[in-house]
Amino acid sequence: MTHGEPWHVDEAPRNGRVVPVFAVTGGRTRSSGRDLPVESLVTTTGRATSDLQQEYRVIVEMAVRPVSLVEVGAALGVPFGVARVLVSDLADAGYLVVHEPPAASPDGGPTLENLTRLLEGLRAR
Amino acid sequence: MRADARPIPLKIVVAGGFGVGKTTMVQALSEIPPLLTEGALTTASTGVDDVAAVPGKRTTTVALDFGRITIDRSLILYLFGTPGQNRFWFMWDELARGAVGAVVLVDLRRIDDCFPAVDYFESRRLPFVVAVNGFPGTDRYAVDAVRDALALKPDTPVVRMDARGGDSCLNTLIALVEHALERTAVAT
Repeated sequence: MTHGEPWHVDEAPRNGRVVPVFAVTGGRTRSSGRDLPVESLVTTTGRATSDLQQEYRVIVEMAVRPVSLVEVGAALGVPFGVARVLVSDLADAGYLVVHEPPAASPDGGPTLENLTRLLEGLRAR
Repeated sequence: MRADARPIPLKIVVAGGFGVGKTTMVQALSEIPPLLTEGALTTASTGVDDVAAVPGKRTTTVALDFGRITIDRSLILYLFGTPGQNRFWFMWDELARGAVGAVVLVDLRRIDDCFPAVDYFESRRLPFVVAVNGFPGTDRYAVDAVRDALALKPDTPVVRMDARGGDSCLNTLIALVEHALERTAVAT
């Protein structure tokens, strides 16, 4: 972040959206240095969110359980490119941990181990 | 979920022509309510920062439906329905990247609609299964006829399913993951 911490608000927390999320992200749809796949999961670090702007706080509260970028986007009603920026900001600031998809097999897909787990899990349903 | 169980996301793409049952299938399988998210912003700016600074670019949003299945204590599977229109190919790249594979849904009354998806996944070498959705009047076609009509490779599975039935959809996913496993096992 080059602009300090723009999600901090000076006044008491407000309910509802104050500004469009595009304004929160400054029009960015890609966060510097991160090209997270849409299914990337985030979880909270437990850091207090009382000083966060509404949109950011909603995301951190969602992330008490693992949630994906697309779920964040759908919950906020924003494109996932915007969700990717917001999530990356929160990860950079220490509020969230990002869990990217695991290292791929040589052909680019999931590893044999994860495919086997997936198959077993689907068969058990 | 245990704190030390690092969550792992996986994804499967559900593709096919307009109205073939993609959304129905995603909803039949998903443990969360149907959710829509908006896709990327502009075709021209994909991969580039700061759309707002380029006022001349046409902005396009695309609705994307998705679902979620929690597989075990750390594995979470996401299902993504592809956007129907071909002008959203750039979104397919995003969805196909690192995916387990794809389900190509086919309505045999409009078989041409699925050719773009078949071509796309073949060219990307992404494992896929062709799933014939059980619309009325399509029962009389044999699986081999479908395979011939689509000029599929011999190892590409063709299954019949009913997108409205969770068990039927689940069997299609299982067929896909089995196929992906075979492909991965051969490659490694």
